[in-house]
Amino acid sequence: MQASDAKKLAASPYLLVEDWVSIGVRLAGQVGIVIAKTFYYLLRLQIDWQESIRQAYFIGVKSFLIVSLTALFTGLAMSLQIAIQLVQFGGESAIGGVVSLALIRQIGPITAAIIVAGRVGSSIAAELTTMNVSEQIDALKVMRIDPIKFLVVPRFVGAMMMMPVLSIYAMFIGIFAGMVIALVYADVSFGVFLDSAKAMVIDQDFFVHFLKAFINAAIVIFYSCAIGLNTRGGAADVGNAVTRSVVWSMTVMFIVNYIVTDLTYEGPR
Amino acid sequence: MDRPNGITVANPLTLLDKYLGIVLQLVGQATIMFLQTMRYIFRGELSLSEAFRQANMIGLGSLYVVGVTGLFTGFAMSLQISKELAAFGADTAVGGVVALALIREIGPITAGVMVAGRVGSAMAAELSSMVVSEQIDALKIMRVDPVQFLVVPRFLAALVMMPALSIYSMFLGLGGAIFIAQAKANIPPETFLDSVKQTVVGTDFITHIIKSLVFATIIIFFSCSIGLSARGGAEDVGHATTRAVVWTMTIIFIVNYIITALSPLHAS
Amino acid sequence: MTSQPIPPSSLPSFSKASEPMIKVEGLRKSFNGREVLKGISFEVFPGEMLAIIGPSGCGKSTLLKLITGLLEPDAGKITLNSEQIGLVFQGSALLNSLTVRENLALALRERKLPKREQDKAIMEDLTLVGLADYIDSFPTQLSGGQQKRTSFARAIVNDPQIILYDEPTTGLDPVMSTVIEDYMIELEKQLHAAGIVVTHQFSTWTRTAHRAILLNQGVVVWEGKPHEALNSTNPYIIQFAKATREGPMLAGKV
Repeated sequence: MQASDAKKLAASPYLLVEDWVSIGVRLAGQVGIVIAKTFYYLLRLQIDWQESIRQAYFIGVKSFLIVSLTALFTGLAMSLQIAIQLVQFGGESAIGGVVSLALIRQIGPITAAIIVAGRVGSSIAAELTTMNVSEQIDALKVMRIDPIKFLVVPRFVGAMMMMPVLSIYAMFIGIFAGMVIALVYADVSFGVFLDSAKAMVIDQDFFVHFLKAFINAAIVIFYSCAIGLNTRGGAADVGNAVTRSVVWSMTVMFIVNYIVTDLTYEGPR
Repeated sequence: MDRPNGITVANPLTLLDKYLGIVLQLVGQATIMFLQTMRYIFRGELSLSEAFRQANMIGLGSLYVVGVTGLFTGFAMSLQISKELAAFGADTAVGGVVALALIREIGPITAGVMVAGRVGSAMAAELSSMVVSEQIDALKIMRVDPVQFLVVPRFLAALVMMPALSIYSMFLGLGGAIFIAQAKANIPPETFLDSVKQTVVGTDFITHIIKSLVFATIIIFFSCSIGLSARGGAEDVGHATTRAVVWTMTIIFIVNYIITALSPLHAS
Repeated sequence: MTSQPIPPSSLPSFSKASEPMIKVEGLRKSFNGREVLKGISFEVFPGEMLAIIGPSGCGKSTLLKLITGLLEPDAGKITLNSEQIGLVFQGSALLNSLTVRENLALALRERKLPKREQDKAIMEDLTLVGLADYIDSFPTQLSGGQQKRTSFARAIVNDPQIILYDEPTTGLDPVMSTVIEDYMIELEKQLHAAGIVVTHQFSTWTRTAHRAILLNQGVVVWEGKPHEALNSTNPYIIQFAKATREGPMLAGKV
């Protein structure tokens, strides 16, 4: 696949761009169908709750450790950069607010989403593609079971249940990392840090946080399911499906993240 | 009966033990592979034409994902920072703050994560499906070392392409940031660029390049060793690919902080 | 393999007096501009087993997917006289996240049986394939042969009027092939369903089918009774049944 890309680029860059656009449009169509059918079942409340809870459990267990680690280290790195800037201006007392705001509104949701795309999205794409390759999806269709209802709906519901939990958890770990950095590098006590955070963070910020968490979870689930359900072939194709799902869901999340930031920005503090 | 992929409640200590074992094994494998690769490179036993082909694939494969994410990261960063600072009358500081964040922190990590998702996962998929279809066994029977044949050219290619992709992503991010600063906070590009020039120093670029080289090394050795140690069938190729994405990303986030903490930091 | 005499057919009889259960007329299908099926027609009666045979890539798996509705034909018509279809996949295609019991229950769900009757149907079904002890196992805990038998059980749990087999013995050892073929014959006796078996395994089509059609490059090149195959004058079936290089199939291609 990639080797032919190189040939196309040598022939004409337009060919390659045309390829990417057509792949993107086709994928968007497949994602659209998955979304439409999922909401059709959701609105009719045709939801397998037991399976949804099982999926929520998997999503939580699979992501728990890695979300902890990345949230911790993102919090450390971010706070370090912010603390150094603010200390320069004598703004130590504002560290808590700025760090918390950045974590709640921007860095927290996108970091959690990247991790969920890498952990959950990729394993869903791998699982569904494997089911497709081993004809399990065909077996469902022959028994007149819609794979969307049977496989996608519980994963979507599970992700919607788990995402806020993971997101809040990541936020707390990140803020804790910020408190440690503020104490070590800027001599700001936990109390001062938290006072500053309380003064600057408002309810609206949490709304943005959860909005982004839900949207990102939906993007990951729908893209990875659409790619998984539409990939056939053999072992190599399972791997390619994982790559595709990670790349597409992350790219779309970055774009949507900006749009949500723009739409929810309500002026400086 | 035990549900193979069902809900089981494990003793947290057993779980920790299991994870620790996996981590140690993986880090061990990646380190050994790194040492083997370095030995081939120092002896000059490498195929430059294959490295060139790999560089072509890595660059081309990541071009649009790294570009799009870089651009939109620049948009989002600039939107938040320029409006906040403009409100305090600090228009002249916007360029510096945005550029510093993009060059030192957000730029390299975004590019690193995207390349991990695009290139690392593709390599794990490719190598593990070579294992599953017995191509690696075929190499070994012909006395070709898979590390020399497959890993060395990928590593050399990544060392060249990763800084290039990272810088490309950073420039697109800066471009996006300048555009948004003008569109949303009325900060002219000249003011933005003046601030960038006053703030950013040479060591910031060095930090940027070091991060991208370290990330490239992490991506190649973790995804290649995960790929080559896969066994089984189609399902296992999927698992290997997922594992490669998860591990490379997690380690990139951790190492990113370590480099940040060690690098010379200055305020804008 | 080819030197062995074709065993005399001991298959249950059927009558052509009734309506055909499966009727396929002028079926055509292309992929990316390449025509895989070029106008295929045949009928299968209740109680009859039809073998569709041919070299790899002749279009036989596509034909099965069209009959099950997994693919849509470009032209032609497929008439099925029953909604109850059982399909045995080439791999076992069992859902790995469900137990054997749950896999079978999934196939039964439209009948909306009370729990006890459902369990009884599943148990009877599993007893038939000798897997009653594995009812609460997961597919990954079973051997390849056991998975295959479970997928058999799933295909017949609904008492289908139409049963389709996609390469049921491909990749199995000779002993396991015989076991599977014996199940197929046993099922013909018990279900009296219309069956189609897609295969290129000599023992399978000669032992289990009443009639066979040979496909080559998307067209039917021979049709007849399996035990007449070796005595035929048709060069295609002679080449296929004797597995020789010389003949009209793949000429100059290998």
